[in-house]
Amino acid sequence: MTCQPRRWVLLVSLLCLPLAAVTVADAPASWTGDLSPIAAADWTYDRAAHLLERAGFGGTPEDIERLARLTPQQAVDRLVDYETVENSAMKPFEESGVWDRGMDPFPPSRADAVRQAREHGEALGVRALPEGSSRRLQPVVDKFFYGLRANSIETQRLGVWWANRMLTTSRPLEEKLTLFWHGHFATGDAKVRDYRMMLRQNQMLRANASGRLRDLLVGILEDPAMLVYLDNGENVKSHPNENFGRELLELFTMGVGNYTERDVREAARSFTGWTNDVLAFKFDKDQHDFGDKTFLGKTGPLNGRDVIDTILAQPVTGEFVSAKIYRNFVRDEVPAAVRTELGRSFRASGYQIKPLLKRIFLSRDFYSPAATATQIKSPVVLVVSTYKKMGLRELPTIPDFGRLTSSLGQTLFDPPNVAGWAGGRTWITPATLLQRGNLFRDVLFADAKTFRAPDRLMPATYARVGDNLAKGMNITEATKDGTGDAESNAQLERDEDYNTRYASYRGYVAAFERTKPIPRHVADLNLAATVAAAHATTPEAVVDHLARRFLSVPLSAKDRGVLVEFLRGKSLTSESDLRELLYLVLSTPEYQVN
Amino acid sequence: MNCCSRRDFLARGLYGIGLGASLPMFLSRTSAALTAQALQGTSFEKHPERILVVLELSGGNDGLNTVVPHSDAAYYRARPRIGIPAKDVLKVSDQFGFHPSMVGFERLYKDGRMAVVHGCGYDHPSLSHFSSMSYWHTGVPNAGEPLGWLGRLADDHLSPGTRNLIVNIGTSQSLAVRSGKHSPLVFDDPARFRRDGTDDEKRAIGELAGSSGATNATLDFLAATARNAADSSDFVRQASAAYRTPVDYGIGNAFGGGLQRVAALINAGMKTRLYYVAYQGNSFDTHVQQGDVHSRLLMYTADAVRAFMDDIARIGRGNDVAVLMFTEFGRRVEENGSLGTDHGTATPMFMFGANANIKGGFYGQPPSLTDLDDGNLKMTTDFRRVYATAIREWLGYDDAETILKGRFGTLGAFA
Repeated sequence: MTCQPRRWVLLVSLLCLPLAAVTVADAPASWTGDLSPIAAADWTYDRAAHLLERAGFGGTPEDIERLARLTPQQAVDRLVDYETVENSAMKPFEESGVWDRGMDPFPPSRADAVRQAREHGEALGVRALPEGSSRRLQPVVDKFFYGLRANSIETQRLGVWWANRMLTTSRPLEEKLTLFWHGHFATGDAKVRDYRMMLRQNQMLRANASGRLRDLLVGILEDPAMLVYLDNGENVKSHPNENFGRELLELFTMGVGNYTERDVREAARSFTGWTNDVLAFKFDKDQHDFGDKTFLGKTGPLNGRDVIDTILAQPVTGEFVSAKIYRNFVRDEVPAAVRTELGRSFRASGYQIKPLLKRIFLSRDFYSPAATATQIKSPVVLVVSTYKKMGLRELPTIPDFGRLTSSLGQTLFDPPNVAGWAGGRTWITPATLLQRGNLFRDVLFADAKTFRAPDRLMPATYARVGDNLAKGMNITEATKDGTGDAESNAQLERDEDYNTRYASYRGYVAAFERTKPIPRHVADLNLAATVAAAHATTPEAVVDHLARRFLSVPLSAKDRGVLVEFLRGKSLTSESDLRELLYLVLSTPEYQVN
Repeated sequence: MNCCSRRDFLARGLYGIGLGASLPMFLSRTSAALTAQALQGTSFEKHPERILVVLELSGGNDGLNTVVPHSDAAYYRARPRIGIPAKDVLKVSDQFGFHPSMVGFERLYKDGRMAVVHGCGYDHPSLSHFSSMSYWHTGVPNAGEPLGWLGRLADDHLSPGTRNLIVNIGTSQSLAVRSGKHSPLVFDDPARFRRDGTDDEKRAIGELAGSSGATNATLDFLAATARNAADSSDFVRQASAAYRTPVDYGIGNAFGGGLQRVAALINAGMKTRLYYVAYQGNSFDTHVQQGDVHSRLLMYTADAVRAFMDDIARIGRGNDVAVLMFTEFGRRVEENGSLGTDHGTATPMFMFGANANIKGGFYGQPPSLTDLDDGNLKMTTDFRRVYATAIREWLGYDDAETILKGRFGTLGAFA
């Protein structure tokens, strides 16, 4: 057996807890909506488990035991006051260094890069070939596609880095909050096309995750990724662009129905000139409209910060943001009185996030039946928390983390739109429900031999170009593909100043050469040792142990019977038999909730 | 209507295609056609064989650069830099033509397989993507209607009792198909729409009944979804895997390849009457430098729709399928300072069908480009008239008024 002795002792102590106490649903229904704190006497293993699920990514029985031994106040403080928790093992993201001189600012499209090259003889730091050369713009278009592909791989690496951080941090709430704000201030690399900006935004969100709302708002409104995502670089006094002002009001602070179209336009004017010089915020005073604006009843030569302060003076802002926090950490339906009270106290505190979180996590409401085991885990939480419960100390990369969560509808650094992930029941469709089980089979029975790394995978249509060239075809022949009559295929094969399909192929090749590969390894899981350490020596005991370790709701007697039956005739010490059983547990509809 | 009871209709067996049956039977088109024929005139619906495919362009498509008013000087005044030059427009009338990348639409229009409805919108338009899209999804603007218009149509109205009446291809369920009673089938990649595992594992998972949801509605919801998945995944996967088509849908993967998947399911005789596919990711939100990106989006869209219509005709179901395409709003008439356009209001809608049933051409009044509402077009056709047209004229279901929670005249677009 390879596990550490300390862990073993804790597992034994866990077994001494009565098995019947698998759920916290025995809290009185009257706790629903009651924001008064729970008593120390109400604190149990199951409530500690619930807190760790919601305020973090769950944990092993040992992690939960550790919280359960504290008072509720201490447990909540420990999670929320996370700056005091040692976390120096977290490593910064290691960039590959793919961004060459001349690539900033990156052209918005291939066509734009071509236009620049036609006008100036170069673009993206690359010169066009002399007039009269065949495919004279090819180097520029190659470079454009290299930039796209290399950036996409760096963003995938960034996602793996963050997921590993979620799994291994000693400050789980810090990452859970950063994930929440990423969904709230949704920004996607598919549009930003610059992982460096996405990384900086992630750092800014983490640094302010539990501080004051105003700092977060100023941070996000001066954040290059957000400025690009919402086109604020184009918000200039002669032609205000409303995207930024509208989403600020509708999605980030107040919610629709609490302002007028005029307020949107006046907010846009106030933010004119807020732009970025690649990776830094820039206030371009030549593009700022210094004239008077009237925003939410306030008149004057308002600027962006004035708009933020005016928004923060509205009672609805406290309610809107605290209700969203509540929905993220507690449940979808916010009782009206809870909304009013949380909003009032949040605003009265100067929009401090920590006291709000502490109040929520200590409230009876948080431990009421309506709030326990009723939330559907987001894909990222589903995968990370499963790894946590398995006791893994490093993120498995076979199968690929990003592919797992994106197959369920969530990709880190790429929310579907500026509203973020809708969450809740929208995560579940008949197909994603099956996939939510299947993906753990890929984890439990990972096959390193057949695994193909997505950060090194070229789509077939471009891989064929490489094969054709290797066979000795010329570029024109090698890039002929579609024989159809779709206009888009005809365009792709146009072969004049450059060949787009060839450029795309070349872009992949160069990006693979210059990005660091994601290190690949399967889950370092030893289920047989875990079960042995728990002294589970009968099929019943093994099923009970895994159910308790992984599920937030108890198995029905019938389902427990099905699983026990499944295990009969199998070996309780066989790693693969135990993994089959775990696959069944993780495939249950009950596993989707926490 | 010379019709019979719902009970008779149910007794006829709803095309006779059960979910448990094996694939070869589905692939026989004749059986679907025969049962459909047998039902003619027996249902209280006039056209129980007809299928409606709804396509969403998310993000607010710029209608003025899609259906270009190439003879209107006001258009070029408002869009000096991003207006589509008249010489490039794919003209289909003295006044209007398509964006030059929409070769597929030009062909569909000239073939008489396409109806364009001018100036669609609603009173008191919202310029928020999310609010406006929810109004188009529910068909009830400026209200908090919880169900989608297609979902309500499926609830007790269209082909009662049919399972999988709605298929929504996508990674998440659209509000448009959210139903009170019906459980829409939602999937993205049919190849992955299956339960993995050994036979032993799958049998055990099949026996797991789940926890009682007496006090936990989330668990009830999960259990119902699990049953739906177990019932339908084999059929969808096998039908899709077996489908081969020579038709070129283009490279853009418009609608995430969803239209090929719809064609595969129709070909396999799926009983689904309503399909929903979105061009996702707010793609059409072209605030900035819209020329190239909008051109690409429109090309991919036109390629995919044209291919789908050809493909459906190829498999012999062309006369049974119509497509309705919408977006949550158009864009402001005047271009912005960034070679793009901001959120606007009225915008054209599109319907496609076969020559046998759609009356191709333009419908409704083109909105004025000079008589504006705060810089935005005044809508001329309530979008629910187009929904009503799809419900009554196409699907042959008379009580559109109940579904749409109001009376809306139809356009006479279908024969």
